[in-house]
Amino acid sequence: MTTAVAAAPKARSKSAQTKRYGFFPGCVAKESCTELFNSTMLLADKLGIELIELTAASCCGASVLNDLNRDIARVLNARTYAQAEALGLDDVITICSTCTGHMRAANKELLEDESRMEQANSILGKFNASYSGTVSVRHLLWLLIDDIGLDNLRSMVVKPLNGLKVAPFYGCHIIRPESVNGWESSRNPHSLEDLIEALGGEAVDYAGKTRCCGFHVQLEKDGIAANMVGQNMRMAKDKGAEAVLTPCPLCHLALDGYQADSAARWGRTDLPTFHLPQLVALALGVDASSLGMKRHVISPGPLLQAHDLAPMHVA
Amino acid sequence: MSKITLDLFRFDPAVDAEPHRDRVDIDFPETSTVLDALEYAKAEVDGSISFRRSCRSAICGSCSMNINGVTGLACKTPISTVLRADRSVRIDPMPNFQPMKDMVVHMDPFWDKYSRLKPYLQPKDKDEDHERERRVSPEDMRKLVAVANCVMCATCYALCPVVSVDPSFAGPAAISYAYRFIEDVRDDKRKERLGQISDDYLWLCAHCYACSYCPKHVEPHDRIIDTKRASVKEGLIDAAGPRHALVFAKTVKQKGVLDENEVVVGTVGRFNFRGLAAIAPLGLRMAIKGKIPPLILHPIDKVGEVRTIFDTLEVPVA
Repeated sequence: MTTAVAAAPKARSKSAQTKRYGFFPGCVAKESCTELFNSTMLLADKLGIELIELTAASCCGASVLNDLNRDIARVLNARTYAQAEALGLDDVITICSTCTGHMRAANKELLEDESRMEQANSILGKFNASYSGTVSVRHLLWLLIDDIGLDNLRSMVVKPLNGLKVAPFYGCHIIRPESVNGWESSRNPHSLEDLIEALGGEAVDYAGKTRCCGFHVQLEKDGIAANMVGQNMRMAKDKGAEAVLTPCPLCHLALDGYQADSAARWGRTDLPTFHLPQLVALALGVDASSLGMKRHVISPGPLLQAHDLAPMHVA
Repeated sequence: MSKITLDLFRFDPAVDAEPHRDRVDIDFPETSTVLDALEYAKAEVDGSISFRRSCRSAICGSCSMNINGVTGLACKTPISTVLRADRSVRIDPMPNFQPMKDMVVHMDPFWDKYSRLKPYLQPKDKDEDHERERRVSPEDMRKLVAVANCVMCATCYALCPVVSVDPSFAGPAAISYAYRFIEDVRDDKRKERLGQISDDYLWLCAHCYACSYCPKHVEPHDRIIDTKRASVKEGLIDAAGPRHALVFAKTVKQKGVLDENEVVVGTVGRFNFRGLAAIAPLGLRMAIKGKIPPLILHPIDKVGEVRTIFDTLEVPVA
């Protein structure tokens, strides 16, 4: 039942060595959550890494295209990987749990099944593209921990989070299925906790951290996503959380958007929900007013002011 | 042998107003399973400790329970892998069920949803004389093998976050079992089965992969996706779930990326005023903060390549 995955040290990718990474922001960071895209770029500047956006990349399929056709997401992602290869980049960095899981699943199928790689390349060949299988899909969270390092990050902190009690919320597809992700234990991950503590915050342990936000089923039936959000945020709040940190903009949208609707059944929680790069960038001294926190439905302003992290008006 | 504490959920409705916990200390080898430890505690310490079990080898599916917050088969869980720092193992009944006594739960909702799907072969002819076999090719059989491994332990149902907030959802096991008969070439009720399962709950799956912890590798999350594809192919597309997938696909084919605005309106239905009114408060909350996707979304570079992929694979779109 414990399925802890051995954290075998991996050979550093070419991208990690040159600090030049392919960047796949995903649809939502370019549409409703532009604050995630902007804060990612500001954080990259601060870290001295270059994120080269794959501007011709398509949607990853987001678990939805699978419902219609078993091949479409795999071939669309092969096209994206071909673009990274053409630029000489071997890491594609994501900032969304759903992109991470589905792009990794596609890559795994391509690398493990020759007939699927052939199928993809025969379609890519129609527009003179091809994928040879050299790309790794990694989330920004993994880059922060593997390539930058927690000790390094700790030494870069100029504005420690002053014991801010932060509940991690992973987002299903960055941990499950473990056969696809496997970077850390899906049952008991702790990378976000490690990161929160490296930034000077206090990580809140609660059962909801690996559960689902309901985003993918929010339009299918009224109230389901709001209830799933309420259930998880209630657990976090009862354990003393003051805020939530998530590596997934879909979770952010659900958690930030639905807490007002879940109050009737689960009580008021009102936990501000930060995108991963926002909180890291804040602690590393990026100007708080540039992190787009005014766009959050639940304003983090009062909390940031109370912890002396930023003046109320920036969020 | 080592000292192990079983931290047990105890509840006997005949005696207890509320559940409580018991700590039972035993000397027991860590290399054994959690089920072995429970059996030993029941035999040697307290005969009233209740839990379901039978085969002790992950075949009968009886002993699913929550071990240190993780639901799975007690007979398949070595103690050494779950022993906490204080040498205890916390054991609770499966979540998403009403406790009956200790780790025994009322399974009725699980079985009701399962039997509602008529989980037996319904062939065209009755073949009452049993004179011949019903042959299935190895290729056709391959689709059914994963589900045939299901032991109905209900681990997936206990882990399902949708079941936890909406008991109308059939859950992963029942949908997987429906798929097992939908794809059986001997069965004559494919259309009816798909219709029944599509009607209400197939599309309530939240894509969370909690059921990927299935101890028998049924991979219910994949079987749910298989069932959705089959239902779209059958033309069952007049519901929010399939509309969502088809509008999503349409915007990706047109623009290369998902168009959030169009997907929301297209899924709910452009003229479904009640539905649109239901999501209006959330839309308003977001709009006040300027958190709205661009109204005009430009296609990505080389979007024609994306359209070529969609056309080659003949992906249905709205």
